[in-house]
Amino acid sequence: MLNNARRTALAAVALSALALTACGGDDSSADGAADSGLGLVSEGTLKVCSEIPYVPFEYVEDGEYTGFDIDLIREIAAGMGLETEIQQSAFEAIQGGTAVSAGMCDLSASAVTITPERSENLLFSDPYYDSLQTLMVPEGSDITGIDDLAGKRVGVQQSTTGAAYAQENVEGAEILEYPGDGELFQAIQAGSIDAILQDIAVNTNHTKDGGFDIVEEYQTDESYGFATKKENTALIEEVNAQLADLRENGKYTEIYDKYFAE
Amino acid sequence: MKPSTRRRLFRGVLYVVFILAVLAIVLLADWKAIGVNFFDVEVAKKAFPTIITVAVKNTIIYTAIAFAGGLALGLILALMKLSPVAPYRWAATAYIELFRGLPALLVIFAFAFAVPIAFSWQWPGGNAGGGLIALIVVSAAYIAETIRAGIQAVPQGQIEAARSLGMGPAWTMVSVTLPQAFRIITPPLTNELVILIKDTSLLFIAGMALADRELTTFARDAVSQNANSTPLVLAALMYLIITLPLTQLVAKLERHNQRGR
Repeated sequence: MLNNARRTALAAVALSALALTACGGDDSSADGAADSGLGLVSEGTLKVCSEIPYVPFEYVEDGEYTGFDIDLIREIAAGMGLETEIQQSAFEAIQGGTAVSAGMCDLSASAVTITPERSENLLFSDPYYDSLQTLMVPEGSDITGIDDLAGKRVGVQQSTTGAAYAQENVEGAEILEYPGDGELFQAIQAGSIDAILQDIAVNTNHTKDGGFDIVEEYQTDESYGFATKKENTALIEEVNAQLADLRENGKYTEIYDKYFAE
Repeated sequence: MKPSTRRRLFRGVLYVVFILAVLAIVLLADWKAIGVNFFDVEVAKKAFPTIITVAVKNTIIYTAIAFAGGLALGLILALMKLSPVAPYRWAATAYIELFRGLPALLVIFAFAFAVPIAFSWQWPGGNAGGGLIALIVVSAAYIAETIRAGIQAVPQGQIEAARSLGMGPAWTMVSVTLPQAFRIITPPLTNELVILIKDTSLLFIAGMALADRELTTFARDAVSQNANSTPLVLAALMYLIITLPLTQLVAKLERHNQRGR
């Protein structure tokens, strides 16, 4: 009996050794496969991860993804001779770099602010949008700025620079984190929060229909960038070149005005 | 081939398949990338001890509140469903079907946002308070069915015996039927509790203050601050630290109860 067990074990070891060598072979052949040099997940297509919706940067209209980031990235991909494929993703996966490392997409375009922490795990393109933080309150509110917030409830978006700004600069107020702008706007309509502190473009969008006012703006020197894996320098260089072209030929301004002209 | 030889051979093949599967996982995974993204010691250190004093604490508190509330409401619903008065049965059935049929996330959203908007009224504890009420409401629907099944599983003879001793129906229910029913349903009730521990992670949709964050919200926050996914792994570990001893304890309790019968 013991003898048999030993023989089984031996056979197992022999077989696994075989498997080991087989795996090694597989690995090297995968590495050797040649591509366009851009390290794309699938040839001919630029796969883009984005947390949607985040109006006006990315949202769905008439069944199509659209928005400032999306239009811009479509132009960039077209300039590179690539199709665009938008992949909806959670923001955590985008800003920690897991989405690109896991091969979900080649590039993230999701109003991602360039920060030193994020730059440790991600390779950012040149900045393509400069943002301000803003404080928005319901019309007729007695809050006129960050100093009036003591004893009030301020809503921010989880995982954003707006949340970080509020935690550093708002005193005596209760800061509530919501997963996205959708929940934030519902909460202020419900009266559950007294103010929202987040990026200017998103807040501006809510003031368009009336009922809400932006009472203060904060300069935080933040810019959005497209992001990819640390190793994908070739891709980012290409994106930067396209971005420069779009700024030069007026296409960038055209897209910008479409979403941000007042 | 002798049957015993064939059996040994078959067993040997099973061993080989198992070892190969383990080897494949070990060899094919990119452990370095996994390490960088999910097991960064520095990031883990930063999350301590707040993850214990805030996140684990809140997860336990929310679970306790939701379970206690769900148990109380579930008991009422179970008794309503067994009531001889038809409208009570209908109401309980409608409640259970509705809240068992909806995803907890949607119920939390509805309670946290729709109710304040509809009635211009705020929950105690704000949106998160509303979310917690929603968890109670959802867990009660599941627990009610478990309790009902438990009550029906108590042998009829027990009830007849109690009644023939002169106990009233209410007293019989409280002193004879319910204790036995709860002994019977300890395992499925534990299941509800473990599910509830994980369902507290859905409260993030309601919006939370820093000090009120439970494990998942805390981890998602830490992920964004550090631009690294290690806090998610840490949170997963914490859930296991809470649930594993709990299930062990209940298994022990169950064995004890078995002997007592």
